[in-house]
Amino acid sequence: MKILVCITNVPDTTAKISFTDSDTKFNKAGVTYICGPYDDYALSRAVELKEQSGGTVTVLNVGEADSEQVIRKCLAIGADDAIRVNCEPTDSYFVAQQIAAIASQENYDLILMGRESIDFNGGVVHGLVGEMLGIPSLSPVMKLDIDGKTARITREIEGGKEDIEATLPLVLGCQEPIAEWKIPNMRGIMTARTKPLKVVEPTGDDLTVTRKFELPAPKGAVKMIAADEVEKLVDLLKNEAKVL
Amino acid sequence: MAKQYSRRNLDFLLKEVIQVDQLIKYPYFQDYTPDMFDMVLDTAEEIADKILRPSYIDSDRKQPELINGKTKVHPAVKDYVKAMGDSGMIGAIFPYEDGGQQLPTVIGAANEFIRGAAHNSFVMFTGLTTGTAHLILSFGSEKLKETFASRMITGEWSGTMCLTEPQAGSSLSDVVTTASPQADGSFKIKGQKVFISAGDHDVTGNIINLVLARIDGAPLGTKGISLFVVPKYRADDQGNFSIDNDVVSTGIYHKMGQKATPAMHLTFGDKDDSVGYLVGEPHKGLQYMFQMMNEARLGVGMGATYIASSAYYASLEYAKERPQGRRLNNRNLEEEQTFIINHPDVKRMLLSQKAMVEGCLGLLLECYFWEDMIHASGAKSEEGQRYQMLLDLLTTVAKTYPAESGIKSVNEGLQVFGGYGYTEDFPLEQMARDVRIMSIYEGTTGIHSLNLLGRGITFQGGKAPQLLFAEMIGTIKEAQTHDDLVPYAEKLEKELGRLQKVTMHLLGIAEKGDNEVFLSDANLYMEFFGIVTVAWQWLKQGIVAKTALVTKNPTGDELAFYESKIHTMKFYFHYELVKTLSLSVRLTDPEVLTISNEMQPAI
Repeated sequence: MKILVCITNVPDTTAKISFTDSDTKFNKAGVTYICGPYDDYALSRAVELKEQSGGTVTVLNVGEADSEQVIRKCLAIGADDAIRVNCEPTDSYFVAQQIAAIASQENYDLILMGRESIDFNGGVVHGLVGEMLGIPSLSPVMKLDIDGKTARITREIEGGKEDIEATLPLVLGCQEPIAEWKIPNMRGIMTARTKPLKVVEPTGDDLTVTRKFELPAPKGAVKMIAADEVEKLVDLLKNEAKVL
Repeated sequence: MAKQYSRRNLDFLLKEVIQVDQLIKYPYFQDYTPDMFDMVLDTAEEIADKILRPSYIDSDRKQPELINGKTKVHPAVKDYVKAMGDSGMIGAIFPYEDGGQQLPTVIGAANEFIRGAAHNSFVMFTGLTTGTAHLILSFGSEKLKETFASRMITGEWSGTMCLTEPQAGSSLSDVVTTASPQADGSFKIKGQKVFISAGDHDVTGNIINLVLARIDGAPLGTKGISLFVVPKYRADDQGNFSIDNDVVSTGIYHKMGQKATPAMHLTFGDKDDSVGYLVGEPHKGLQYMFQMMNEARLGVGMGATYIASSAYYASLEYAKERPQGRRLNNRNLEEEQTFIINHPDVKRMLLSQKAMVEGCLGLLLECYFWEDMIHASGAKSEEGQRYQMLLDLLTTVAKTYPAESGIKSVNEGLQVFGGYGYTEDFPLEQMARDVRIMSIYEGTTGIHSLNLLGRGITFQGGKAPQLLFAEMIGTIKEAQTHDDLVPYAEKLEKELGRLQKVTMHLLGIAEKGDNEVFLSDANLYMEFFGIVTVAWQWLKQGIVAKTALVTKNPTGDELAFYESKIHTMKFYFHYELVKTLSLSVRLTDPEVLTISNEMQPAI
């Protein structure tokens, strides 16, 4: 089975967010990058499937050279090789276009990715890739088993779950608890250096331009109200916070 | 819970101060790239986040229990040991031929720092296994290596070190456990060992005890001590380790801290059926054991430092969130209370912790780096021997000074919390209990101080301190090229001179042959030596930070980081280094009040 896992290189969840160039670019200075947590789940399940029934796992990232540390970590976790599309992942359509271009060159049985990235949280790339390749796309997938060419899937739906059977190939957006996150081991770290990482140039044009980023307004100071001052609390909620 | 350490600081020390990447140019470490070191530390973070941190408090409350001769420990220990075995971290620093990955020990130590900051007690299980396996690999026969070490590296089995006996604690020359030779080349072991950390548990399939014992007829004293592998279960005829090897858990100590790691009283050979296998040659046991003890000593210094790091970040977070009172120049009660971090005394305690943690960590990582340089440049090369001498001299300091200052540092962290620090609602009381053992483990402060003054300073005509002082002078000269650092270079130069003067004074007493007077205040000499050594580390960090401020033109968090480094360096010099004055006065004072004398009144 050939599996393609698409990963994002995103700021750590504790990173301080700021912008440069008149608020048009994200300030990368001092920011630690990680593999998107949902992508981590996708990769872990892909490695488990490979361990169970053989095959290959290829990691794909649409990103600049600074993504390579995260890509190497994915190779250390158990992917066999990697491809980096050398460009800034500016919007979902552009990223999906790159993934579809790579995927169309090989016959992947499964294309896995996180249900969404954790920087822009668009959550649409898997759908766009499925559309571009003309194959089904499902998300958010919580459970995935493969039997020959059939995938048995459980995905989360509003207020419950849905069990699905589908024929490969598929594009899936993954989330917990599809697999246990894998921790790179020493052997993986040592071999990751020599695993192939191919860099290719992007196809198509980036059609959107960011004019301005804006952070949410900072949280206001907390006011402590004594337990016996209910009237004062109601007044503040009505007239100051304006939530009543 | 607050974060327990700063990855930025760890990166600063590894990449900018020590410049660990230079190891890669040596053939021994050539298979590594800098990003692989990062991945090793990321792995430690994942283990810390997923397994260690969540169980830190729970495993303190649910202590190990000895029930019907079997010891049960917190269930998360098993998850932790498995994760360490699966990740290949237990034996990662060993050479390839021993099943390791030749990971630099300085990266292995940084890895442990991250894990230990999350749970200082659990890391002992794997730390002891690494040390035990390393000893077998260094001195054991091929059979011992194959049978035991290979299964310890994977986490399938674990290891312990069994030195102390009820009548022989620090004085190992009084060890009485016996080893009687058997026809098949093995030995029957008989005796008792106490305070055996992780000496029994339900985590691994076998426990490999390294036991110091005397072969029948061996000479008295340390020259008659041999080292044995004594497994909890030994092999049957089919090679399965199913035979109970008569290693009985006689008792479990209920400790003040580090409660998740059982400290056992073990009895060997009560039924005359405890079989041991000699490691290396007879009567060289203590010599072999010193390898593990020296590794463990740096580990103890590291232990105190990572607990102090956890305490620092917990108290820092609290101080930023806890409003209390108003600034001393503000008497306006209408205004909201200020956060306690704005009170000078609280800030002093926080800076004091930061100065201790980051200064001691710098010293420890440099010691581990020297260990790698010995591997890289060859133990017999001139460079290798130079690093070996520095390491031999400073191991005892890098164990003791961080242990003592770690206790003070955690205590200050607790003080920041006020009354809450004394409660179980916050982790500081647990950290204060956990860190207290560090000045006792692997040789008390008193023993190490005797070792420093009595042996380290004078060994080979004082060559090691000369090398160290030359290193310090090199740093002082470099600091003098930065205008802002000149006052601090001068301060260190002055204190180094004072240390040399005090050393000469004490050596003068030794020359007269009165060892008791010479060594009576060795503990204070250790403190003096430690303060100057860590001041040297701070000046090194100051130089790197100053250079970064000038050449990198940092902004935002990076600017704040480097400025904070300079500020903390200044704090260490103005608040800690000045303590050497009183120490030097005492150390050169002719009035000795601690030597027993019948003419003096009893205490």
